[in-house]
Amino acid sequence: MNMIELENIDKTYVTASVETRVLKRISFSVQKGEFLSIMGTSGTGKSTLMHILGCLDKPTDGHYRLDGTDMVSLNDDALSHLRNNKIGFVFQQFYLLDRATVLRNVMLPLIYTKEYPEDAKEQAEKLLAAVGLTERATYRPNQLSGGQQQRVAIARALINNPALVLADEPTGNLDSKSGADVLAVFQKLNREGRTIILVTHDRNVAEHANRIILLKDGMVAEDRVISSPLDADAESRAEAEKEMSK
Amino acid sequence: MKISKEIILSLEILTEHKVRTFLSLLGMVVGVGAVVVMVSTGRSAQKQIVDRINRMGTNLVIVSAGKSMLIAGRQRQMNIVRTLQVADAQSILEECPSVALAAPAVSEKVNIRWEDQNVNTTVAGMSVDGFQIRGIKPQSGRIFDPEESRALKRVAVVGSTAAANLFGSADPVGQQIRIGKVLFEVIGKATPRGTDVNGLDQDDVIFVPLETAMRRILNVTYVQTIYVQARNSRLLKNAEEEIASLLRERHRLAAKPDDFTIQNQATLLEAERETTSSMTLLVGSVAAISLIVGGVGILAVMLMSVRERIREIGLRRALGALRRDIRNQFLVESAILAGVGGMAGIGGGAILSWAISRFAHWPPVISLDAAAVAFSFSVVIGVFFGLYPAIKAANLDPIQALRSE
Repeated sequence: MNMIELENIDKTYVTASVETRVLKRISFSVQKGEFLSIMGTSGTGKSTLMHILGCLDKPTDGHYRLDGTDMVSLNDDALSHLRNNKIGFVFQQFYLLDRATVLRNVMLPLIYTKEYPEDAKEQAEKLLAAVGLTERATYRPNQLSGGQQQRVAIARALINNPALVLADEPTGNLDSKSGADVLAVFQKLNREGRTIILVTHDRNVAEHANRIILLKDGMVAEDRVISSPLDADAESRAEAEKEMSK
Repeated sequence: MKISKEIILSLEILTEHKVRTFLSLLGMVVGVGAVVVMVSTGRSAQKQIVDRINRMGTNLVIVSAGKSMLIAGRQRQMNIVRTLQVADAQSILEECPSVALAAPAVSEKVNIRWEDQNVNTTVAGMSVDGFQIRGIKPQSGRIFDPEESRALKRVAVVGSTAAANLFGSADPVGQQIRIGKVLFEVIGKATPRGTDVNGLDQDDVIFVPLETAMRRILNVTYVQTIYVQARNSRLLKNAEEEIASLLRERHRLAAKPDDFTIQNQATLLEAERETTSSMTLLVGSVAAISLIVGGVGILAVMLMSVRERIREIGLRRALGALRRDIRNQFLVESAILAGVGGMAGIGGGAILSWAISRFAHWPPVISLDAAAVAFSFSVVIGVFFGLYPAIKAANLDPIQALRSE
């Protein structure tokens, strides 16, 4: 079943008199349970594509169906609900609220659900356990390392059980050990059946996925399956050993 | 559920920025406080005046000789008029059905001596009924009786201020004093009555029998004032009309204007209420303007807050917050700011007005209605001035908001 269907997506920005066509007739689909990397150097339109995939922006032309819903015709409120229900965001800069505890940060998207679940706290605790941060639940984000913060953000992204996890350069602000840890979490989630799209400029990061779409000048230049993705767990262990031997 | 969560969220944010929150509250505190203080002190000043008018006597009608005019807010007699007679008082009592008592009176500043003390004080010659009409009672000793009045006895009842000026701490009763050149015996001291409507001390006075004052001290045949008591408060207006037509007839005025002025307590009260009420309203409204200044303070703080939390707004939008969720969050925040400021203003204002009324010896009045109005007004203003920042925050483009530094 196709979780995501993109059909001739076009995006054109108009500033003053200059028209910039950022995305040109992009079409591809993503199956449920895939781990896809969207790769491209800066300026190739990968951020714009990510915003469209995340329902934060609408294409100028074309169709985007997410889990059966065509988002192009939806209004702002409906798009907000869609983001809340179907998409879990992981950002390069984590975007955690410093004044709230780790647990509260994980629970944050629940405020905007139609019905606040009664077991919100239990759900959040379960997710924190899944990213290995159970004992940090009452900490503030600024008391955690970058890698820990990003894992909190991943837990937050999962709280509404989204159809799609969308990660934008999730390892961009992390050292290689923490980056490997975060990628290991994504790989684990994917093994559990989660659909993940990772946007990055870094080939080494992208190759942890099962499939890579390479963007060039706003077009799909390459779409290939990775038969043997890199193993983040092994990298993490190797990095740890390197640390030890220093 | 949703609203309470927003309130908790806003409170967390506000307590996070204590100084900023305090500064933005300050405008509201001052605004609401000013309204409460202005209206409360206005009301207590009014109550003070009303109390004074009530203290003048019961169901009182005052007939004064000559045409008096309001000058700078005070009743002044324009020139000496000799037409008001003791006989007028007698005839008012006999011929006006609404009148219960009538007491003619004269007064003048006279030099008083006791031992080596020498003071200038108002000597009031008044018939015995005057004490009853004006509610003057002896604090020690006694007041003179009609017999002493008729017999031109040289007896005096001193007011408390006059007594203090003249005798210091000595007991005035039984002392011999010289009023002008005439020797009098002090037979009583009156209970203190405080200031009158014009703010003059009603206790700096020495009462002597009317006839004694007219013949022995002032050497006049006319009186300045007749104090009249109506049978009841509903008859004040009737009494005034009856007295006016009687006096016009007795003084043979025909087409000439009145040579007397009649005031009754009810009209005095009404006039005073009116002036002080409009004054209170005016000052209160000026104070209310400072509420708007407080609102502008909230506007500034909320704009700052939106700017500072722009990435948080972007994040919340990405996580599924609707525009109105963001808008409500900021509205609740500014409403809380204004509400807490309003509360503090009411508290501060109440304390300050209590202190002012105590300092000014006014009866303390805390205007709860003004407090309630000022408080609701402050919340409305908080929401009103919070609206622009809130809408601004709600309409941010999530992508731009997330990207901003």
